[in-house]
Amino acid sequence: MSDPSHIRNFSIIAHIDHGKSTLADRILELTHTVADRDMKEQVLDSMDIERERGITIKAQAVRVMYEADDGQTYQLNLIDTPGHVDFTYEVSRSLQACEGVLLVVDAAQGVEAQTVANAMMATNADLEIIPVINKIDLPAADPERVRHEIEEGLTIPADDAVLASGKTGEGVCEALEAVVKRVPPPVGDPDAPLSALIFDSYFDTYRGVVALIRIVDGEVRKNMKIRLMATGVVTDVEEVGVRRPANMPVDALTVGEVGYLVTGLKDPALVKVGDTVTPAKHGATEPLPGYRDVKPMVYTGLFPIDGDQYPDLRDALDKLKLNDPALIFEPENSHALGFGFRVGFLGLLHMEVVKERLEREFDLDLLATAPSVAYRVTRTDGEVLEIHSPQDMPDPGHIDHVEEPYLTAQVIVPPDYVGAVMELAEGRRATFKNMQYLSKTTVDMHYEIPLSELIMDFFDQLKSRTKGYASLDYEFLGYRRGDLVKLDILLAGKPVDALSFIVHKDKAYARGKVLTEKLREIIPRQMFEVPIQAAIGGRILARETVRAKRKDVLAKCYGGDITRKRKLLEKQKKGKKRMKSVGNVEVPQEAFMAILKVDD
Amino acid sequence: MDETVLPGAGSHDELSAAALPAHLYIHVPFCSSKCSYCDFFSITDVSDERIEPVRRGLDDQIARWAELGLPGMIETMYIGGGTPTVLTTRLVELLRIAFDAFDRSDRAEVTVEANPDSLTSLLVESLAEAGATRISLGVQSFDARELALLGRAHTVDDALIGCEAVRMAGMDLSVDLMCGIPGQSVDTWLESLEQVLTTGARHVSVYPLTLEEGTPLQSACSEGRLRAPDPDLTATLMRIAEECLQSAGLRRYEVANYAVPGHESRHNLAYWTSRQYIGIGPSAHGMLDVPTAIAAGVLDPEQAADASRVRYSEADDLDEWLAGAGGEVELLSAAEAAREDVMLELRLTRGTTIAQVERANLMPVMEDLESLGLIERGGTGEQTRFRTTSRGWLLGNEVFSRVWAGV
Ligand SMILES: Nc1nc2c(ncn2[C@@H]2O[C@H](COP(=O)(O)OP(=O)(O)OP(=O)(O)O)[C@@H](O)[C@H]2O)c(=O)[nH]1
Ligand code: SF4
Ligand SMILES: [Mg+2]
Repeated sequence: MSDPSHIRNFSIIAHIDHGKSTLADRILELTHTVADRDMKEQVLDSMDIERERGITIKAQAVRVMYEADDGQTYQLNLIDTPGHVDFTYEVSRSLQACEGVLLVVDAAQGVEAQTVANAMMATNADLEIIPVINKIDLPAADPERVRHEIEEGLTIPADDAVLASGKTGEGVCEALEAVVKRVPPPVGDPDAPLSALIFDSYFDTYRGVVALIRIVDGEVRKNMKIRLMATGVVTDVEEVGVRRPANMPVDALTVGEVGYLVTGLKDPALVKVGDTVTPAKHGATEPLPGYRDVKPMVYTGLFPIDGDQYPDLRDALDKLKLNDPALIFEPENSHALGFGFRVGFLGLLHMEVVKERLEREFDLDLLATAPSVAYRVTRTDGEVLEIHSPQDMPDPGHIDHVEEPYLTAQVIVPPDYVGAVMELAEGRRATFKNMQYLSKTTVDMHYEIPLSELIMDFFDQLKSRTKGYASLDYEFLGYRRGDLVKLDILLAGKPVDALSFIVHKDKAYARGKVLTEKLREIIPRQMFEVPIQAAIGGRILARETVRAKRKDVLAKCYGGDITRKRKLLEKQKKGKKRMKSVGNVEVPQEAFMAILKVDD
Repeated sequence: MDETVLPGAGSHDELSAAALPAHLYIHVPFCSSKCSYCDFFSITDVSDERIEPVRRGLDDQIARWAELGLPGMIETMYIGGGTPTVLTTRLVELLRIAFDAFDRSDRAEVTVEANPDSLTSLLVESLAEAGATRISLGVQSFDARELALLGRAHTVDDALIGCEAVRMAGMDLSVDLMCGIPGQSVDTWLESLEQVLTTGARHVSVYPLTLEEGTPLQSACSEGRLRAPDPDLTATLMRIAEECLQSAGLRRYEVANYAVPGHESRHNLAYWTSRQYIGIGPSAHGMLDVPTAIAAGVLDPEQAADASRVRYSEADDLDEWLAGAGGEVELLSAAEAAREDVMLELRLTRGTTIAQVERANLMPVMEDLESLGLIERGGTGEQTRFRTTSRGWLLGNEVFSRVWAGV
C-alpha cells in the first residue's frame, strides 16, 4: 500500500498548443517511465487522429515515480488534458481526480481564452495552481509580460511561476518539485469502505468495459465484488492496475491512487462516468459528487452510408460513449437518408472527431448532416418543443415564436485586431458587452452571440481575420427569441429534409443564394439536369442548375488491358457509393455540410 | 504455383486447333522520352545495356510459348508499347524471331505501334519487308503548341514525314489523335482532322485525354498552371470528329476507332469480341480460356474451380520480369465473362445480340440504359441487337460500368 503522503495527483491544463503534452513527454523521460525506444513526441497522444492533427483530444492519466530533492520517491499521477474548447469537459472531469494543476502558459502567446477558462475551473475546484510559463526557449518568449498577464487576467500569483521549456527540458524538475511541495497529498480514509470515482472509461474488445478510477476511501483489489452505485450493477473486479502509460496490473489500488479497473462488464450502458465504485456488501452509503450532465451545443444527424450498418452504428455509439461521456444521441429518421441518429456534440471539432473515431474504430462509413442548435419552439396551442433538427420544425402556421440559444463569448486578441473582431461580430448578430486590457498587448472582449452564428465558420473566420492571434471561449447564456425561419432545399423539385436549416429571417435570402451556388459546385453533373432551389414555405428564394453531364469516357485501352479498364470503372462506381442517392440525384457527402462554409 | 503446371510442362494435345488463341501481343516497354500525360509503364533509358536484356527476355518468352505450341495459327499480331520503334533494327529482328517461332496465316494482320520521332523510312521499309502489314502511328495532334504541351518527342513535320513513309512502303496506316488537350479549340481540332485526312490513313483512333494522377500534366492542371480540359468542349470535339471522319468515308466501328470499311483493326476487334490472345513482355496482358491457361501454365488446375475465363498479366516491374517473376491472374466466372462480353461488344457500332444479353442476365440493365437514351435496339425477335447511341458513346463509363456491375 502506498502512503498517501507520497502521492500527488495533478492535471496539466492550458490553452491549446501551449505545450502540455510535450511537457508530459519530458516528465515521462525524466522519471524513466517510458523506454527510450518507445519515446516519441507527445507520446500520450496515442490515437491516430490526435497524432494526425497534432492535438490532444482525450485526457490521459499516467503514473510516474519521481525521486524528489528531499531524497524521497513520490508517486505522481498526472493527467494530460486537451486544450481545445470543445473538450473542456475532459478537463473538468480530470480535475476531480486531482488536488492540483500545472497551469501551462505559452511564453510567447501569453494568456489566451482557454487559459482563463481552465484556470477558473481549477480555482472553483479549490485546486492548487502552479503556473508554468512554457516555451521560454522561443525567441519571442516574453516571460515578464506573461507573468503580468497571469496576475492581472487570472488573479493568480505568479512570482514563483516556473519558467520551463518542454523542448529543452529546462524547468521540468522545478515543476515537479513544485508539485511535490505545493500540491497537497490526497486525503481519504484507508479503513472506510471503498469509494472510488470513475472519471473516464473505455471499451476493450477482449476485456469489456475498463474504468479509470480515483480512489477516495478504502482500496480495491482483484476479484473483489463491487457495485456501481448509479446503475446498481454488481460485478467481480477482473483486474486493477495503473497506466504507465500502458496498463500494468497491480495487487491493489489504495487511498488517493489513480488507476484502472477491468469491470468484466460487456454492456457499455452499465458503466457511467461519474459513478462511484463501492463494495457490493457494506459499501459506502453516499455516492461521490460525480459530474453534472453536459448539454450539447450542436446536433447533427449521423447516418450509415450503407443502411445495413444501422445496428452497428448504435453499438458503436454505445461503446464510444464510454470513452466520451459528452456524447448524446437519439434515433432519427430522414426521408433522404434513412435511419440514423441525432447526435449532440460540444462543438464542431468534437463532431468531426466523433465521426472519425466511429469510422475508424468501428469500421463504419458515415454521413453527417449540417449541425444545428437546439431551438425552443412555442406552438400556437401553447405547447413548447425543443427541436434538435430542422426537419422537426412545425409548420409556420403552428408556430407562435421560436427561441434560440445564446452564448457569452470571450475573445482574447491583441489591440490591433479589435476592429476586425468587431466587424465579424457585427455580421453575426452579436451584442458587444465590454472589453478590458489584460496587458498592453492583450485585450479581453465579451459578447453575447447566438450559438447558431458561432457554429457557422465563426472560429475560422476569427482566426483568419486576426492572423491567428485571437482565441475564443464561450459559455451557454440562455434562450432568446429570434425571428427564425426554416429554409428548405429542393433537389430536382423535391425537398431534401437533410439539407434544410433554420436561419434568421434577415439572412434567409443571402444564405439561400450562397448555399444553392455552393451546392451547384459540389453536386457533380448527372445524367440529367438537376435544379437546386432554396425556399421558405412554398416561396422560392434562389435557384441554380447542375447541367446534365455530356461526356464521361475513359482513355485509351492499352494492349488489351481490359482488367485495368474494368478496375477503373469499378473504382468510379465505388466513388459513387460514397455518395448518397437522394431520389435519383447522387449527392456527395460534403453537400450536407455546405451550409457551414457559407460566409456572408 | 504447382510445379506440374509451369510453362512447358502442360499438354495441349486435347486442345482443338480451332480453340487455340490466334492473336498475339508483344510489349516493348521503351520510349524515347516521357509524355506529360502518360502514366503508362515505359522506360526512357534506351541504352543498349537496358534494352538488350529485355530483348533476350522477349526472345526467351517467344521460344517458351512456341514450345507449348501456342499461339495457334496467328491471325493478328500487335507489337505495342511504349514505343517499339525505339528498338530500330532490333525491332526488325524481334519480328523475324516471332515469325520464325510461330505460324501465321497468309492474311495475318501485323501491326507495329510507332511514334514519329523514331520512325525512319528505312525502318518502315525493313519492317514491311520483314512482314509487318500495318503501322499505328501516335501523332496525337497536328498542332505544334499542343504537341509541346503533351510533351511529345516529335514535331508536326515528323508526323507528316512518318505518314508518308508508311504510305510509300505500301502499309496500312492508322493514326492516333487526341482531343480534350488543354488549350485545344474547335479550330485546332478541325485542323488536326483535316491534316489526318491528307495522310492517307485508312484508320484513325480518337481518344479523349485523361488527366492521370501523378502526371506532370495533371499537376499543372490541379495547380492551376494550365486550364483542365472542359468536358463539354471535349464532348463537342468528339462529335466533330465523328462527323468529319465519317463524311470522309472512315466509318466508326468502335467507340474510339474509325476505318475505311475493310481496314478495321482486326487485332482490336479480337479484344472486343472476347477472342483469346497471348501477351508477351513486361506488363503485357493476355486472355485465355481455362484449358488453354492450364496448358500454358498460367493457371493451376486446382484453382480453376468455376472459372470460365482467365486474364493474366506479366510482371510490370522490369527487374522482376527479367527475373522470371509472374504477374497477376484474374479469373472470371461464366456470369462475369458473359457480362464482360456484353460490355466489350457495346464498344462496337454493331453492338451485341439479345442472346448475349440474356445469357448475361442483363435485360433490366439494358432497359434502364435504353430509357436513358444511352443504348438503342434494332431488329426484332431473335434478331434484336443492342447498340450504343451517340450520347452513349460520350457517356461510355455509365454504360460500361452498369453493364459490368449488372445493375
Ligand atoms: N519551441 C518550443 N516548442 C514547443 C515547446 N513545447 C511544445 N512545443 C511545440 O508546440 C506545439 C504544441 O505542443 P503540444 O505539446 O502538442 O501542446 P498541447 O498543449 O499538448 O496541445 P493540445 O493538447 O492540443 O491542447 C508542438 O509543435 C510542440 O513541438 C517548447 O517548450 N518550446
Ligand atoms: S509514347 Fe506513349 S507510352 Fe511512351 S511516354 Fe508517350 S504516351 Fe507514354
Ligand atoms: Mg496535448
